[in-house]
Amino acid sequence: MSRIFVTGMGVISAVGNSVAENHKSLVEGLCGIRNELDLFPTKYANLLPFGQVRISTADLLKKLNVTEPGVTRTTLLALHALNEMLQDAGLSLADLSSSETALAGASTVGGMCLTDELYADANKNTNGSPYTSSYDCASVNMYLQKHYKMNGIINTINTACSSSANSIMYGAMLIQHGFAKRAIVGGVDSLAKYTINGFNALHILSSEKCTPFDEGRNGLNLGEGAAFLLLEKEEDIAGKKVYAELTGFCNANDAYHPSSLSDEGDGPFLSMQGALKLAKLSADKIDFINAHGTGTENNDEVESRAMLRLFSTPPAFASTKSYTGHTLGAAGAVEAVYSILSLIHQEVYPTLRFKKTIPSTGLIPVASYKKMPVQHVMSNSFGFGGNCSSLIFSKA
Amino acid sequence: MGRAVRMGVGASMPVINSAVAINGIIIGTGKGGMEDCIKFLNQIVQYEEGLLAPGNFVQSTSNAVAAQVGMMSKNKSYNTTHVHRGHAFENAVIDAVMQLNEFPGSNFLLGGVDEISEYDYTIEDLDGAYKKESISNKDLYDTDSPGSIAGEGAATFLVNDQEQNAICQIAAINILHSEDESQVADMFQQFITTNLPAGENIDLYISGESGDNRTLKFYTVCEKLLNENTPVVRFKHMSGENATASSWALWLACHILQQQNIPSHMMKRVVELSSVKTILLYNNYKGIQHSFMLIRKN
Repeated sequence: MSRIFVTGMGVISAVGNSVAENHKSLVEGLCGIRNELDLFPTKYANLLPFGQVRISTADLLKKLNVTEPGVTRTTLLALHALNEMLQDAGLSLADLSSSETALAGASTVGGMCLTDELYADANKNTNGSPYTSSYDCASVNMYLQKHYKMNGIINTINTACSSSANSIMYGAMLIQHGFAKRAIVGGVDSLAKYTINGFNALHILSSEKCTPFDEGRNGLNLGEGAAFLLLEKEEDIAGKKVYAELTGFCNANDAYHPSSLSDEGDGPFLSMQGALKLAKLSADKIDFINAHGTGTENNDEVESRAMLRLFSTPPAFASTKSYTGHTLGAAGAVEAVYSILSLIHQEVYPTLRFKKTIPSTGLIPVASYKKMPVQHVMSNSFGFGGNCSSLIFSKA
Repeated sequence: MGRAVRMGVGASMPVINSAVAINGIIIGTGKGGMEDCIKFLNQIVQYEEGLLAPGNFVQSTSNAVAAQVGMMSKNKSYNTTHVHRGHAFENAVIDAVMQLNEFPGSNFLLGGVDEISEYDYTIEDLDGAYKKESISNKDLYDTDSPGSIAGEGAATFLVNDQEQNAICQIAAINILHSEDESQVADMFQQFITTNLPAGENIDLYISGESGDNRTLKFYTVCEKLLNENTPVVRFKHMSGENATASSWALWLACHILQQQNIPSHMMKRVVELSSVKTILLYNNYKGIQHSFMLIRKN
């Protein structure tokens, strides 16, 4: 089986519009979560904190030179991150449109960021807005395919909050099993009145900035963002800039409850264990875990318990959702970029605002920025429907 | 449970309850649970973002079918949902092929699910997906107008790498995004040349013709590339059109291979049928997404 390497990256989130800006915020501990949502009218705009990307939809349209009708903010965020990745990797337009280049993306909200427009169209209050073919999750990659005239395999995955971890796995497998020579993998989600009200109905949105792995944590903050990575196999990377190797990945299901994890965390345990097995690494070789760490009561306790089950002494771990909020379908890809930044710079980024250990687990996340040797990083993503995925990136 | 979840679970449980252990659940769905989605959306508006019941929200996520099947069968293995519109089921097939290469001897549940809901029908209708005039499904291919008729359903399969007792083999699959019929014709020809074993014929061609005059050109160029003695079957007057109609077509191919019989209303080009062993399936969704599958029985 071919070894898979990361040769390009692009990211946009509440803590920056590029890999460099995101890195600076992570190092300096700058949080992107604020009580000033201004993307659409919602009564929660000033009541709840959100990780909004600091660029308006109008400015994105202008910056990206998008003039067609019906393009949503979700698609624009994706295009922004993809463009950065393409420039970073130096991928030519010819290679991009080659039938050997796959695109495996992910989204959970797709064009439903336009909640009010969707409401009007679905209830026939209009003669059809410009967005009637833009609401589904696939609309993002349908646009990217057309924009760059891509001829390879194109896919969109939706496994809720683990979506883009699965698109990374899928892209790697497309290469390993001969369906593609290279794969563009990642994911995107933008803030939506739909998801805000959905998570609020589940009572898992915190009215304060989230505090993952803290005893006093009381929920997550929703964020938005996009990230794309270029995956290539060992035979094709000579002379290229190589950021990391994707050594392990696994998808497992918790099979317990539609919207919460089982007490013992079988899904998280199995996905972490499976990723180690594929990477042929013993648990003690993992130097750092970029945890799912949403800040909800359920996730952080169960994830901790699963870590305690698998690692006799869990390695250093933290949650970067304390910077960006939970970017849902983008989280796996955004945090893959952050995990790779840890490998490149031999440093780890802390969980912000951590104060008190959860008594039942006794686990303390990394709470301040530090330099340390990092050879292997695990990145966790768990979603509704029990969909759990873990990735392992190793120093190239 | 919403409609898509009910159909998906209903079609999956017989496979789950078959004697073999299932090593993963792979579902393709273009829209997932749109009915629940808009019900929740209507709540948001009706109650002015007040205290809402989360049930519809949780059921509306596209992964609800695979998740529900996993939960009901306590299956903790691989579980994923492909949602790339008209290639949602095709990517699920490709995923299953890769999983079986990776883990020989395992068994997967593979399925395609999509529902018709009032709201989604409205949106698709505004988008021009359906015919404006009222027609009988029998006349679908005789109309010369844009749009098709709405379809829904769930088709599920037990897939593994064991030839013994298999209904058929999914011998090859490929997908393409294109609005250019000559590019599609080239891919169609190349797909046959690459994948059809030397000396074998295509015994039957299943065409995804939907009665939409905007996509007919793709079906026409592909059909022209076939030997004129190849029998041609159409199915969308039975299934209707939706993003995962190709999963129904794969079920149809299996059924024909098992029964060696085809209802006459499905035949577009009737030719004396001897035994059917090799079936080629070409489908197109909304004039952009094309898929090619070669299905064989030894």
